[in-house]
Amino acid sequence: MTTTISAAAERLLAAARDGVPCPPVRDLIGAGDLDQAYAVQEAVAAARERAGSRVAGYKIGLTSKPVQEQFGVFQPDFGLVFDDMLHSHGGELERGAFLQPRVEAEVAFVLATDIETPSPSVADVLRATGFVLPAIEIVDSRIAGWDITIGDTIADNASSGGVVLGTTPRSLDGLDLAEVGMVLEHDGEDVSHGSGAACMGSPVVAATWLARELVRRGRPPRAGDVIMTGALGPMVDVPGPGRFTARLSGLGQVEVTFVERGK
Amino acid sequence: MSLEESEVVRLAHELDDAQTSARAVTGRPEDWDVASAYRVQRHLVSRRQSRGEQPVGLKLGFTSRAKMRQMGVHDVIVGRLTDAMDVPDGGDLGLGGLIQPRVEPEVAFRVARDVDLEDPRASVVNAVDAVAPALEIIDSRYRDFRFTYADVIADNTSAAAFVVGPWAPMRPLGNLAVRMTLGPQTVAAGTTGAILGDPLRGLRLLAGICRRHAIRIRAGDIILAGAATAAVPLTEGVVTGQVAGLGRVSVRVTRDRSGGGTS
Repeated sequence: MTTTISAAAERLLAAARDGVPCPPVRDLIGAGDLDQAYAVQEAVAAARERAGSRVAGYKIGLTSKPVQEQFGVFQPDFGLVFDDMLHSHGGELERGAFLQPRVEAEVAFVLATDIETPSPSVADVLRATGFVLPAIEIVDSRIAGWDITIGDTIADNASSGGVVLGTTPRSLDGLDLAEVGMVLEHDGEDVSHGSGAACMGSPVVAATWLARELVRRGRPPRAGDVIMTGALGPMVDVPGPGRFTARLSGLGQVEVTFVERGK
Repeated sequence: MSLEESEVVRLAHELDDAQTSARAVTGRPEDWDVASAYRVQRHLVSRRQSRGEQPVGLKLGFTSRAKMRQMGVHDVIVGRLTDAMDVPDGGDLGLGGLIQPRVEPEVAFRVARDVDLEDPRASVVNAVDAVAPALEIIDSRYRDFRFTYADVIADNTSAAAFVVGPWAPMRPLGNLAVRMTLGPQTVAAGTTGAILGDPLRGLRLLAGICRRHAIRIRAGDIILAGAATAAVPLTEGVVTGQVAGLGRVSVRVTRDRSGGGTS
């Protein structure tokens, strides 16, 4: 590992450990060098695995065209989902466990089988998917003020924070995920809207992109992996304590409450 | 500030001329009240009627919370539709007679019987019997869509043209995926939930506003519920709006000076 990569990883790990956001890492690895950025992501992941976390899946980011344009890229990115990031519908999360959290509503795929094919297709992904769930992703940045380029966010595990999974599995049979409507509510008021079509045309397309990218990078997806396929609408800040409910038509709803304890 | 009748007439003429000549107005009152703005709208529409146009319904505006926050208002606005704005599903609309048109995907309701607004319990929701996918073309007569709350009411809430797709029986509308395409490109994706959380909420607000400003709701009227996504600039080509489970509606946009809003 080069010294710049380990320096960038150390900076991000320290921010997470101390709960204090850090400056961007683009001064170390460049603003747009994706391979360097993924190398930092791997280094951070290796440190988390040494500390006992286990990879439980993946998250896809930058799946909406406006966000891609904002970052000057033409493809999504991905990060790792660790087992300690997974939470269940209806639970409470300490807001202070995150640095600068935002939430977005998504469709989560749960794989029933490994995907081994060298260049997975939509068919391979559909065949491997056991079921889908409504989900809320908590995105978070270790980088102060979300001052990120594409390189910064990939290095920082695609700005991942946590995942809240719904509890109503649905089969993909006969389900057109492009036609899933999404309403995200904060304490009963709708704050974000969208649909499956906003996620690369369909979350299935996003999942297929991810499967290919993972196989290419020597990390093929495995049975049991949770794949967060990307936001169906704009992400919103978590302003403080409060409840977020995501309603996904045809998939059900998922809810999480942020609390501030001892305050 | 309440306006003198002569000023109401002058402003209505100015806005009407802006529409017929496809040239934006330059000035408007600095400070005026909502009631005066609705008086201008009424005069503007009766001037159109004196040219032979028939009233065919109403439209709701400012139905998104983001838009309300942006404008600093808490109430939806109502505009009037005439047959000259009505473009048949699959028909042509010319850009020539428009100033700076934008298009939004919506749903439309059909009013089955007159609503007696003298009755305080009158329900618009109970008076509608069908819903359809729709496209609305808005075209502010103010340069660059820069207007105050009163300004846009006077300008008949930017109404320019609309297209209504096939009618379907009423059904839950709180979260149906909505997609708008321009040619092969998806230009907007969202949900009917973006219309006040549920388009029926708009209908519930309509009676009060119509009562305050003496706007009638009659059998046969079409009510455009408000935008399901942000408006997109209208350019040449086929625009299609699609509402999951409701079907689709389209319009062919040409460079000609013809079609809705240009009579």
